[in-house]
Amino acid sequence: MKDAIGSVENTGLPKEGRRRERVILDERGMIDMPFMILTILLVGIGVIMMFSASYASAYIREGSSTFYFARQGGFALAGIGVMLLVSRFNYLNWYRFAMPVLGVTVFFMLLVPIMGVEEGGAKRWLDLGFISFQPSEIAKLAIIMGFARMICESKDKIKTFKGLLPYAGVLGVIILLLVFQRHLSAMVIITAVATAMIFMGGAKLRWFGLIFAVAAVFAFVYLNFMGYAADRVIAWRDPWSDPQDTGFQIIQSLYAIGSGGLMGQGLGRSRQKYLYLPEEHNDYIFPVVCEELGFVGAMLIILLFMMLILRGFWIAIHAKDRFGALLAGGITTLLALQVFLNIGVVTNFLPATGISLPFFSYGGTALLLQLAEMGIVLSVSRQCDNNLLA
Amino acid sequence: MARRFRRYAKKEPTGTPVERANRTTLSRTLILMILCGVVLFIPLISVLYNLMIVEHDKYEEMAIHNQTRSMVLTADRGVIYDRNMNIMASSSTVETIFLDPNAISKAEEEEEQKRLEGDEDYNPDRSAIYIAKGLSEILDVDMDTIRELAADTKYYYKVVKRKVPEETAQKVRNFINEHELTGLVNLEMDSQRYYPYGSLAGQLMGFVRTDNVGAEGLEAYYDATLTGNAGAIITTKGNQNSEMLYTYEKYYDAADGNSLVLTLDVTVQYYLEKNLEEAMARYDVKNGAFGVVMDVNTGEILGMATLGSYDPNNYQEIYDEELSLQLEQQYQQALLMGKETQAYTDSMAAYNAAIASARLRQWRNRCVSDGYEPGSTFKLITLSAALDSGAVTENNSFVCNGTGHVYANRDQPVDCWKLVGHGTLTTKEALGASCNPSFATMGVLMGDKTFYNYIKNYGFLERTGVDLPGEATGLFFSEADFCGVSQASMISTTFGQTFKITPIQLARAVAAVVNGGYLLEPYIVGEVMDAEGNTVTKNEPTVLRQVISEETSATMREMMEYVVTDGTASKAKVPGYRVGGKTGTSEKMDVFDEFGKLVDDKICSFVGVAPINDPQYVVLVALDTPSKESNAMIGGGAMAAPTVAAIMSDVLPYLGIDPVYTEEDLNLIEYSMPDLIGLTEAEAKIELDKKNLTYRVVGEGATIMDQLPAAGASIPGKSEVVLYFNQSAPTDLVTVPDFLTYNLNNANYLATTNGLYMLITGANKHDPNVTATYQDIPAGTQVPRGTMVTVEFTDYSAGE
Repeated sequence: MKDAIGSVENTGLPKEGRRRERVILDERGMIDMPFMILTILLVGIGVIMMFSASYASAYIREGSSTFYFARQGGFALAGIGVMLLVSRFNYLNWYRFAMPVLGVTVFFMLLVPIMGVEEGGAKRWLDLGFISFQPSEIAKLAIIMGFARMICESKDKIKTFKGLLPYAGVLGVIILLLVFQRHLSAMVIITAVATAMIFMGGAKLRWFGLIFAVAAVFAFVYLNFMGYAADRVIAWRDPWSDPQDTGFQIIQSLYAIGSGGLMGQGLGRSRQKYLYLPEEHNDYIFPVVCEELGFVGAMLIILLFMMLILRGFWIAIHAKDRFGALLAGGITTLLALQVFLNIGVVTNFLPATGISLPFFSYGGTALLLQLAEMGIVLSVSRQCDNNLLA
Repeated sequence: MARRFRRYAKKEPTGTPVERANRTTLSRTLILMILCGVVLFIPLISVLYNLMIVEHDKYEEMAIHNQTRSMVLTADRGVIYDRNMNIMASSSTVETIFLDPNAISKAEEEEEQKRLEGDEDYNPDRSAIYIAKGLSEILDVDMDTIRELAADTKYYYKVVKRKVPEETAQKVRNFINEHELTGLVNLEMDSQRYYPYGSLAGQLMGFVRTDNVGAEGLEAYYDATLTGNAGAIITTKGNQNSEMLYTYEKYYDAADGNSLVLTLDVTVQYYLEKNLEEAMARYDVKNGAFGVVMDVNTGEILGMATLGSYDPNNYQEIYDEELSLQLEQQYQQALLMGKETQAYTDSMAAYNAAIASARLRQWRNRCVSDGYEPGSTFKLITLSAALDSGAVTENNSFVCNGTGHVYANRDQPVDCWKLVGHGTLTTKEALGASCNPSFATMGVLMGDKTFYNYIKNYGFLERTGVDLPGEATGLFFSEADFCGVSQASMISTTFGQTFKITPIQLARAVAAVVNGGYLLEPYIVGEVMDAEGNTVTKNEPTVLRQVISEETSATMREMMEYVVTDGTASKAKVPGYRVGGKTGTSEKMDVFDEFGKLVDDKICSFVGVAPINDPQYVVLVALDTPSKESNAMIGGGAMAAPTVAAIMSDVLPYLGIDPVYTEEDLNLIEYSMPDLIGLTEAEAKIELDKKNLTYRVVGEGATIMDQLPAAGASIPGKSEVVLYFNQSAPTDLVTVPDFLTYNLNNANYLATTNGLYMLITGANKHDPNVTATYQDIPAGTQVPRGTMVTVEFTDYSAGE
C-alpha cells in the first residue's frame, strides 16, 4: 500500500500527491461502514422528517404535499450516489485540487454581488442555469481543503506568526466576500472551521487566545451596535417582548419543541407545521422533529449525530496521513458546528442565524454537497492504517 | 513499541518534525473530537430537556392556545322578574363587528399580485379603503377611524363597533358576502341588557357594563348567578385558515345564567316612585327622596326607591335634566378655555370629576348604602325598649315644660320642639306628641346598658344582610361611648339625633316592633330560577331573633295608631285602613355651609304600618331637604306622612287588603258618580245609597232627566248630588276659590257656595289649628260646576 501511494514518513505529505497521484479510483480499502451507515440513516430520517414538516407548506405553496419531498428524496438518492462515488475518489487528489477549488470558490463569491440571486434582502445564491447554489457552502469545504494543504506544505511554519499570515489572508478574503453577502452565519462557521483547522495543524495555542479575543470583540460589537442584529438579540433575550414580529419565529419554534414532550405527538402529527412555524422544513425542521418524535426521538437523532461526528474524528485520527486527518477532521468539525448552531438557534440557546440542519433541512445542492463531504471522509477511511499513531 | 512509549511519555520532543507535527495533529484532533462530539451537545441536550420535559406543559398549553380557534358559545344572562313575573331586565343578542388587519393586508397583497398578473379574479374590494368605506356607511363609524384600525397589520382583532343590533349585523354580513370579505371583516355574538321599565327601580337593578359584567344593584350582587358559563367550540386550525390533517375538537356547553324572581312588585314600586316624585315636586325637595315598602312578617322588599334615579338602559347619562344641562354648560365653558391651556386642563378635570360624581350619586341606592339621621321615627325603638324592659309602662306620666330639661351627666339641656311645653303626658301621649323630654326621661329610666342592648338587638349595629351590594352599617356609638359617664349620646339617641342608620335598618326594626318582636333578614330575591324555569334556590323568611315580646308589640301597635289618629301624623290617615306610624324630622348633623355653620337642612320622614291591627306592610319615606318655598310646614308629619298615606292608598287595595270604611271615613272616599238618567227617584236612591251619597231633587217628573255631577265624575262620599226631573243640569263654569288657611268647616262652606265638592285629605278635624295647606286645582281655575277639589288639611298643633 505504501508503495502505491508513496511514503508519508518524511513530510507527512504524499509526495506522490505532489508528483501526481496515480491512483484516482481508489477501491483498495474498505470504506468505514459505521460512518456510512450512520450517514445514510440520518439522510433517511432527515428526508422523512422533511416530508412530514413540509407537508402543509408544500401543499399551500406548491399545490402538492409531496412537492418538496419528491425533490429532496431525489437529491438524497443522488447524494448517496455522489457520496459513494466520492468515497472511491482517492482523497489525495484533493491535495492537488485544493487551491484551484479555493480559487474557483472565491471567483464564484465575487460573482455573487454582481449576478447573484436576491432572496430576503441579501444576495447569496448563484444561478448557473442548470444548478443554483450558495458559493458560501462550497467555501466551507474549500477552506478545509485549502488549509489542509497549506498546513501539510508549511511544515512547522504554522507555529510562527509569519506562518499564520497566509491563513489569515485567505480567511480574510473569504470573510470580506461574505460581508458583501451579509452572511453572518457563514462567517461564523467558516471562521470556526478555519480556527479548528489551524488548531489541528499545530498553531501555537496563544494565537487562539488572540482569535477568541477578536471573536469576543466582534460578538460585543454585533450584540450592541449592529442595528440589523439588535432585533435578533432582543428576540433572543426575550422572545415575548415582540411576539408578533421579531420574536414570532422563535416563539413558534419553542411551542413546537415544548409541546413535543417525552414521546411527541407522533410522526406526521405536528401542529406547528401548519404554517405557524416559518421555515419549518428548512432551518426550523428540528422543532418539528421534536414535536412529532418527542424528547426520545430528538435524543435519538442527536445521538446519531454524535456517533457520526465521533466516528468522523475516529477516521481522522486513523487517517493514513496528515492531509487525510485534516480533511476528515475539518469536515467533521463543520458538520458538528452546523448541528450545534442549528439546534442552538431553534431552542433559543443562541441568537437567531440562518443555519440549516445537515441531512434534514430542505435544499438539494446543500444536501449533495454534504453527502459529497461525507464521501471525502469515507475515502479517507479507506486508507486508515493508523499511521499517525505510529 | 519503544517509540510508542516514548510518545506517551512525552518527556521531550522526539522524532522527526513530521512525526512531531503528526502527533500534534493527532492529539489536537482528539481534543476536537471530544469538543465537537460530546461537549457541544451537552448544553443542547440540557436545553431540550428543559423545554420538552420540564416546561412541556407550559409550552403545550401555549401552543394549543396558539393553534386553536375557539368559537364562543355565549351564555344568555338571566332575566330579572318581579314577583309577578314581569320582566325587569333581560338580554337580547347583538353583535360585535371586528376587522382582521393582518388578513386585510395579506388580501391586499394577493389582490395586487392578481392585478399585476392580469388575473380575472382580481377584486379591488378586498382592501382596507373599500372596507372602511362600506362599514362606515353601514355602522355609522368614521371612515378614517376604521382605516386606522386596519393599518395595525400586526393584529388580528380590532373592534369596529360593539353592540350592533341584529338587523345592522345582517347588513354587514351581506356586505361581507357580496364583496368576498370573509375573514377580513368578522362578526361575534354579544348581548345587550335591556330594562323595560327604564328608570323604575334603577338602583335596585344596577346595570351591565359593555364587557357584560354586572355593575351596581342586583346585576352586581347576583352577577355570577345571572352570568352563567360561556361555552366554546375549540378546534385546531392551521395558520391562515389552512386545514390540519390531525385536528381535535372540544365542545364546552354554554350554561345560561339563572334568572331572579324578586319579591319586588313593579306596581308597588311604581306607586312608591310616583308618590315620591309628587312629594318632591310639591315640597320642592332639594336632595332627593327615598322610600321602602317591606312585608313586616317576611322581610320581603316590595318596593325600594331612591330619587333622583337614572335609566339603567343609559346608565352613563345624567338622568336629572337640570343637572345634565348644568354639566353640559360646564363642559362647553371648559371648551371655551382653548385647548392646551392650564385653565382648559383644570376645567376639563373639574368637569370630569363632576360628571363622575353625578353618575355615582344617581347609581347609589340610599336605602341600603347611606346612613341618615332617623330623628323622631327612632322614638318607636326607644319606647318599645322602655316598655319591653319594664322601665316604663302605659301608665307613666311625663312632664314637659318645653325648654330647659336638665338630665344628669348631660351638659346640654333638652328642649322640646313645642317650646311652650306639652304639660303632663301619658306614655301614649308622649309618643303621639313626639315629646323629646319625655323620651329623654324614658332613656334615663331604662338605663344606658338596657337601651344599648335593645338597639343592638334591633340590628342597628350590623348590616341587615339584604341581598344588595354596598350595604352600610350606619354610624352608631360604641358601647363605651354610649354607656360612659356622659349620657349625652344616650339621651340624644332617645329622640333619634346625632347618629346615622340606614333606611333598611329602620324599616326592619319597625317591622319587628309591630310583628310581635321578630327581627327579620330583609331580602329582595325570592327565588333563583334556571333557564328552564326550575327553581334553583328559594329565599325563605329568616327570623334572626325576637327583640321585644308579643305584648309589647301589641301595645306599640296601639300607640302607633294613636300617633296617626290623634298625634303628629294625622296626615297619614288612609280612609278605610287603620294606619300606625311615627313621624320624624331630623337636622342633618354633618352638613355645613361655606362659613362652617351647621346648615338647617332637614330630612322629613315617616314610617307607617298598615293595617296596624294586623300588620302587613311597613312603608318608610324620607324627603331630603324640602324647601320652605313650598309654603308647607317643614316636618315629617306635614310632608312625609301624607306621602306615605298616598302610597298606602294606592298600594294597599292593589295588594289585596280591602278597605273597611267607618262612618266618619265615608266623606273621605272618592266615588265615581253613577249614571242615573232615565231612572225613577226610587231606583236612583238605591244606586246612590250604594255609594253613600245623598241627593236633592229639582223639578218634578217620573224619571230623571239630568244629574249633577255627570256620570263618571269623581265625588266624595256623603255628598249631596242634584237630580233634575224636568230640566237640564246647569253647564256653567265656576271659579275654584283659594282654600288655603281656611279651617275645615269654612272650607266646606266655601266649596258648597262655589258649586264644588271638596274631598278632604290629611287631618280631618274641625279645629282652629287644622287648616287647608294644599288644593289639587289651583285657585282661579275655571271648572264645570260640580267638580271635586281635593284639599289637604294640616294640624299645626301636632307639629313635627
